[in-house]
Amino acid sequence: MMCRTDQQPEPHGAGEETSGAAFAALLEDSAEELYESAPCGYLSTLMDGTIAKINTTLLDWLGLEREAVVGRMRFTDLLTVGGKLYHETHFAPLLRMQGEISGIALEIKQADGGRIPVLVSSVVKRGGTGEPLLIRTTVFDARDRRAYEEELLRGRKVAEDARKQAEADRARLQDALAVLQHSLLPDSLPQVPGVETAAYYHTASPDRLGGDFYDVFPIDGKRFAFFLGDVCGKGPQAAALTSLTRYTLRAAALHDPDPVAALTTLNTVLHERYADGGDPRYCTAVFGTLEPDPVTGQVTVRLASGGHPPVLVLRADGTADFLRTPGGLLVGVLPEALFTPAGTALAPGDTLLLYTDGLTEARTGKDRTSLYGDDGLLAFATRHAGESPRAVVQALTGLLDSFGDGLDDDTALLAFGVPADLAT
Amino acid sequence: MEIIGELDYSNAAELRDRLTTVALEPGQRLVLDLAGMDFCDSSGITALIAARNHAHAARADMALAAVPSHTLRVLHIVGLDQIFPLYPDSDAATRS
Repeated sequence: MMCRTDQQPEPHGAGEETSGAAFAALLEDSAEELYESAPCGYLSTLMDGTIAKINTTLLDWLGLEREAVVGRMRFTDLLTVGGKLYHETHFAPLLRMQGEISGIALEIKQADGGRIPVLVSSVVKRGGTGEPLLIRTTVFDARDRRAYEEELLRGRKVAEDARKQAEADRARLQDALAVLQHSLLPDSLPQVPGVETAAYYHTASPDRLGGDFYDVFPIDGKRFAFFLGDVCGKGPQAAALTSLTRYTLRAAALHDPDPVAALTTLNTVLHERYADGGDPRYCTAVFGTLEPDPVTGQVTVRLASGGHPPVLVLRADGTADFLRTPGGLLVGVLPEALFTPAGTALAPGDTLLLYTDGLTEARTGKDRTSLYGDDGLLAFATRHAGESPRAVVQALTGLLDSFGDGLDDDTALLAFGVPADLAT
Repeated sequence: MEIIGELDYSNAAELRDRLTTVALEPGQRLVLDLAGMDFCDSSGITALIAARNHAHAARADMALAAVPSHTLRVLHIVGLDQIFPLYPDSDAATRS
């Protein structure tokens, strides 16, 4: 057959003259053997696809006898249905157009019904005038490669599933944290007659439940209680401490609204709960009561502090000063603790401001080494004295934003004021 | 015992673990020298309180020496300056 003679490989001389002859002999000697037993399948077909020549390797893969194949079958007869289809729609047209095609993944059928994934490359051999004579095709066994690819795909799917699961877990955890965080702060503040109230909470990190808290609630027909504080630490344990603190103060205030008494009760509860475990937990807190006088419009403030930075009073006349509570101790540290009471009266246009030390401990300056500090806060408050609680809290919110990464702690703000326009 | 560098969330637990290994006899005084401490946050304060509790549990005493001004400011705000005996340096703290 013509194709058989065409198919004879050209003997190659090896580059080295000394061993060239030996190599040539070896190659020539084994050319037929190499063709038949090569580690890949070879076949040559006529232009209509009829198989003219096929090597032993491929016959073995197929499980077919040479006589059943050569001159009797076409290349596409070796392929699976999907392979046939792909051959007709892509492989053959591309081969006709380009004269060659390389590394196409197909599947061949075995006589016993099995199938082997293969990579197929074909070249059209042309005659002296350029007319197509036959198609030479190599077939590589891609079983290992397919298994490897499947392994990769499976690995990727496992990783993808794990990632999705982790994302879902994370979202659920974030939701739970948000709900918990929410339970530590009031949804909304009650209306205190004749008093405007404003609050703000800055969360330093959504992942770490904050340790700042505040609340405002009625005690009796005349008075309202408020508190604001900061528990030590962060995360779930701090949240549990915040929760205990918040509900203890609420219950204590109903029993005895005297500020020192309320903080003393909280101190007893926290010390009893945490001191013995070798893991001291405590908080700082300002607790107080508001008693509006419906006749004068003035609001009497009584408060006490346990280890908390002093509250600020911004007066309608444009002055501001700390309402100092020196010596008030951290709440929960000692079995017997002293808390310092203080009091003032808010007239129309006055505002009482409570804050946590995220504000005064914020780092300022180019290199973030200076503290914003009490003096900075007092100067800021003085500039805003005479403004409403909402305006003061809004200004402070802007100030907190301006700290950028210098503000690395949660910060709570709570302000009460007697509206100036009520007096006129 | 000297505390050098920053005492914060990241290492306060280590100090607390270390402190519990310090054996104290009744009547002795545990002195924490803070001269080399650059920074102390609320976790650091907790560690100082834990140190005091540890000393008191052994019927010993605890004092702070050479407290840096920034930490003294915080101790003052939280009222602990009345609770911890404070001394200008370790010698003064151990003598008295």
